[in-house]
Amino acid sequence: MKKRRLMATVLTAATAVSMLSGCGSSSGGSSSTYRMLYSGEVNTLNYLTTDNAVDTEISANVEDSLVEYDQYGNIKPCLAESWSSNDDMTVWTFKIRQGVKWVDKDGKAVSDVTANDWVTSAQYVNDAAHESGTQYMYSTGAVVKGAQEYYDYTAYMIASENGTKTKDADGNDLTPVSEAKAEDIGVTATDDYTLVYTLEQPCSFFLSVLSYASYLPVNKDFLDQQGDNFAMDNDSLLYCGAYTLKTYSPQEKHVLKKNPLYWDKDNVKIDEIDSTYNAEASSVEASMYKSGQIDRASISADLLNSWLQDASTKDQVHGTRPNNSYSYFYAFNFDPEFDAQYEPDNWKIAVNNLNFRKAMMAALDRIKAITVSEPEEENAKAVLNNTVTPAAFTTAAGKDYTQYDALKDITAGDSFDADAAVKYRDAAKTELTAAGCTFPIKVLMPYNPSVTNWDKECQVVEQQMEGVLGTDFIDIIVEAGPDTGFLSAVRRSGKYAFMKCNWGADYADPQTWTEPFTADNNYNFWDKSTDENTQKLFTEWSGKVADASAIYNDDEKRFTDFSEAEALLISNAIIVPFSISDNGYEVSKINSLEGEYAPYGMALQRYKFQSLKDKSMSMDEFNKALQEWKDARTKSIAESSK
Amino acid sequence: MNYRDHKTRQLDSVLSEELRKSCDPYEAYRDLPEDELFQPAQFDSSAAERRGYSNYSYWGATLQAFFKNRIAVFFLAVIVVTLVFTYIQPLLPDQKDPKTIYNDASGIQIINRSPDSEFWFGTNSIGQDLWARTWAGTRTSLGIGFAVACFEALVGTLVGVLWGYVRKLDAFFTELYNIFDNVPQTLVLILISYIMNPGVGTIIFALCLTGWLDMARFIRNQIVIIRDRDYNLASRCLGTSTARIVTKNLLPYLVSVITLRMALAIPSAIGNEVFVTYIGIGLPTDIPSLGNLVQAGRLVMSQPSLRYQLLFPTAVLAVITISLYIVGNSFADAADPRNHV
Amino acid sequence: MAKYIVKRVLHSMITLCIVIFIVLALLRQMPIEGYFSNFDKVSKAQIAVTLKKLGLQDPLFVQVGHYMLQLLHGNFGRSIKYREGYSIAKIIAQKAPISIEIGLISVGLALLVGLPLGIAMANSVKTKWKFWDRFGTVLIVIVEAVPSAVYHLLIQLYGSELFGVSMLFSRDDITTWLLPIFSLSLGNIVYYAMWLRRFMVDESNKDYIRLARAKGVPSKQISRSHVFRNAIVPLVQYIPNSILFTLMGSLYVESLYSIPGMGGLLVQAIKIQDNTLVEALVVLYSIISVAGLLLGDLLMAVFDPRISFTGKEGSRR
Repeated sequence: MKKRRLMATVLTAATAVSMLSGCGSSSGGSSSTYRMLYSGEVNTLNYLTTDNAVDTEISANVEDSLVEYDQYGNIKPCLAESWSSNDDMTVWTFKIRQGVKWVDKDGKAVSDVTANDWVTSAQYVNDAAHESGTQYMYSTGAVVKGAQEYYDYTAYMIASENGTKTKDADGNDLTPVSEAKAEDIGVTATDDYTLVYTLEQPCSFFLSVLSYASYLPVNKDFLDQQGDNFAMDNDSLLYCGAYTLKTYSPQEKHVLKKNPLYWDKDNVKIDEIDSTYNAEASSVEASMYKSGQIDRASISADLLNSWLQDASTKDQVHGTRPNNSYSYFYAFNFDPEFDAQYEPDNWKIAVNNLNFRKAMMAALDRIKAITVSEPEEENAKAVLNNTVTPAAFTTAAGKDYTQYDALKDITAGDSFDADAAVKYRDAAKTELTAAGCTFPIKVLMPYNPSVTNWDKECQVVEQQMEGVLGTDFIDIIVEAGPDTGFLSAVRRSGKYAFMKCNWGADYADPQTWTEPFTADNNYNFWDKSTDENTQKLFTEWSGKVADASAIYNDDEKRFTDFSEAEALLISNAIIVPFSISDNGYEVSKINSLEGEYAPYGMALQRYKFQSLKDKSMSMDEFNKALQEWKDARTKSIAESSK
Repeated sequence: MNYRDHKTRQLDSVLSEELRKSCDPYEAYRDLPEDELFQPAQFDSSAAERRGYSNYSYWGATLQAFFKNRIAVFFLAVIVVTLVFTYIQPLLPDQKDPKTIYNDASGIQIINRSPDSEFWFGTNSIGQDLWARTWAGTRTSLGIGFAVACFEALVGTLVGVLWGYVRKLDAFFTELYNIFDNVPQTLVLILISYIMNPGVGTIIFALCLTGWLDMARFIRNQIVIIRDRDYNLASRCLGTSTARIVTKNLLPYLVSVITLRMALAIPSAIGNEVFVTYIGIGLPTDIPSLGNLVQAGRLVMSQPSLRYQLLFPTAVLAVITISLYIVGNSFADAADPRNHV
Repeated sequence: MAKYIVKRVLHSMITLCIVIFIVLALLRQMPIEGYFSNFDKVSKAQIAVTLKKLGLQDPLFVQVGHYMLQLLHGNFGRSIKYREGYSIAKIIAQKAPISIEIGLISVGLALLVGLPLGIAMANSVKTKWKFWDRFGTVLIVIVEAVPSAVYHLLIQLYGSELFGVSMLFSRDDITTWLLPIFSLSLGNIVYYAMWLRRFMVDESNKDYIRLARAKGVPSKQISRSHVFRNAIVPLVQYIPNSILFTLMGSLYVESLYSIPGMGGLLVQAIKIQDNTLVEALVVLYSIISVAGLLLGDLLMAVFDPRISFTGKEGSRR
């Protein structure tokens, strides 16, 4: 009986709701709704602590930062109406836009956005107790005065349990940290609408740092009132961005609704964004797009061919703009720590030989490796990256960084050259035999099984490189690492010989791309090499980087110096530049080229400026649009640098 | 009065006669004619030998009953052929390597090629031959399946019997079962692959660690049901040792269910491998296995033209499972002595 | 019997403690990297703070002690990664009902279809055409042979095409309940049918059944009150478990249809290293499975009075 009653309730409820929802799903007319699937649930709505790109998909759209970007990557006023800096670029003053409201999830005004909100957020983020993952943005690149000191002090207080302990769990002594106050952090509000950041050292790219989540504002009264409950749900959060998070049912649905009180309403063209959770989104979204249930689906390389052959879908599927916020490169490990069966000592001799490294570099057919995830050769070329710093990442004096003299030839060329590889190999063979190296040289190449297509790519690379250099010269050993804790188990502990690594940009300056190769890095360990030549290279490179970082008033000079350092890395084959990240193919009723653009931070995740179209672009249409966008971008950069 | 005395005496003599007869058997039968009496038998050594031998053998009869079932024999042949084929396939002429990526004349990988005369099962998304991969995967998975099933049968039966029969151990094994059952397999598997890197050994170890639980519980339930039946009670009263009761009274009774369970253990171990691959902690894809192939096929399932990538490994897996199931079931039927007559 | 139950419950408490201890010990072995989503950019001080807050810097016994105390207060704690800072009790309260609803309906369906199918199969073994036996065997063979990861997907793809229902679950649309429930119960239907047939066939070969048949007892009555009655006993042990386990949800089905239930929550929590959530789920699931085992034993003793766990009558040991 009970079961029947349950079924009956379910039935009535179901009919009632389906009748209601029957009339709401039309997407035409005055209101536009963009529907899609997502497979990764956000872990937290707290934008001040998260360092996860999945989380910022929401934060980017519901909170605004001081500055925003236009379609071509130019910085524009957002919540800051205007700004200025002192001569040595250590004090930055922002005029905050007046009349912007904090609203709740239903779009009702709660209070005004004022300069104090940024002061509060800086104090919140730099308090170690909140474990913010993006706190480092206050102390790398641009160093905000007093921020790290306050962080270190709060961290010490936690570790020492308010100073009562002198040793940590492992018995190491805790070094006491002198007291620092939250008020001493170099973020101050001189009045309600004037915000001042004081930096430790000159920083010319400070504006680009501001689009990070840890520089978003937060209302102090609301934060205090919510306490630990802050950002636990969509009603324990206030919004100042283009959208509010109207519905938040984890692993079920997110609904972003246009903020009715937004200061720049006209540029928000999609009224509602419905995201439905599906753990297997990648395998069902293509068919759901076909049946018209959603407006966007990514098309995997496997599906691409059949979609292009099907008459009903072939003019809908198109590529995406390559994402140059990440750079991938193959790194040589100069301080191998792997098992004796892979002959680390032998590898040590080989890796310090310039000709060996050059042979490896020239033997790697990068296009072939990329075709694993990008079968169209044209598109594969588009994600190819010849330098560590991606092209179109940053410009100075109207010139792209990768076009500076030192890097110009490298950018234009291709490191793959089978004939050269053979020559380098023969040279290396004689030198290495003299040095006591045994052949074939074992090359341990681990991969993370949870990264899509990496396994396949390794198999392709193994076969391809062994084909060029011969199996009597190298023996590439492809091995799966653990998918949990891969970086610690493999890269950081030096348990690889030659492996694809990546690095993501934090701000718009070439300095951000030097970080993985500095002293005590856990990428290629070349500073730990005992070889004379390698040490000499490292010293030379470090010197150049240090010199370049010190320049703040002459961007052209700064870029020239950085580009020389980078050229040193590549021409000596310390690393092999590989690609930028690839977003594959999609069918989508919005044109992402219309949105904000910046190769770092959250700009790419914003729906502002984008509008819903009737149909998805075809491959040709998209490629044309992409080319137009590139041209327009070059032009607009040239204009803005004048 | 005389009459009464007479009767009394008569009764008395009858009674004493009866009493005498009952005390002395010779007296009792003395009056019977010769052919009604027993004769002492002569010792016949050939007859003695004949009686010590019965031409009924349990396993012989089981096999006989099994081989009478044509369908079962057919599927047994299928298993044997599949098994032999997976191992000799690489030795056959014109076989491709499961790990090599095939390129066409212009040096482009032959990806997602539908089955044709060159690639019998087609190629996968990086241009590896699915025919070779399917058989290499079957080898890996059958190896894993056999190893896990053997361990499961051995440990599962042993623990199950002890758990079910020996009351003193009941509490201990119940808690042991609960502990093993409740420490999540995923956690253990992740840790094992973190420590010893993913590979065949890791998977076998992890599947064995929890695989025996179901079998043990199953046997234990069976034993609990029959352990106090009258014939076991009788055996115990007669002082039969536990080991003998288990091997002679209990296990023969369970042969049919244990064989069915074992037959299903191999496919379920393979299914388990598919599952751990599904949650992303299975074998790395550079070691082909049915789990990997099925998972790779699942991902392209929504595209009709690529469904062959799922079809072939699933078909091989299905054939193995069906054969084992039918053979197991028929063997279980045949193993019941009551079906032997 | 009551004494036996009390003893079992007490034993279970100890087991629970051991399980918590083992799980906490195992979790401590997990790579530190997993607690951070952007490990390359995390400073040493930050790592130390996070580990301290997780209690990973305390000795194991202290950590276990803290956790037990917290449990005794009825507090599952707050999630650290799955939904940062959110109360775990609330997470479970939001997710469990949907899994239980779908699970119970499918278990009910499985029993309603699986048991009669098993009986029909067993009864038709002795008939001429063996229709039900053949039909059931084919069904069993198909379901058992195709890996569940595959047939759930097939049901979803073809089912939604065939009946024109949505591929995704929606709480309010009853038609979207059908496919997942069917998918979920299929495995159980086959399980019950297969084992009931096996046990019934074994039982019907026993001498007392032959005697009954020889005496002319109607075969329906034999089947119902002798064969079935005895054959169902071993299956009864699993029924409480399968009902209680509905709380856990199904990983495959729930992720395919986007059902916001408990399925795969534990696996996910382990993979993202949400220690507090893992601990809470382990405790919850342990209680369920321990209770299920106990209830199963009791139910078995109820169905078959010859079974006893108290160890008095006629047992030597």
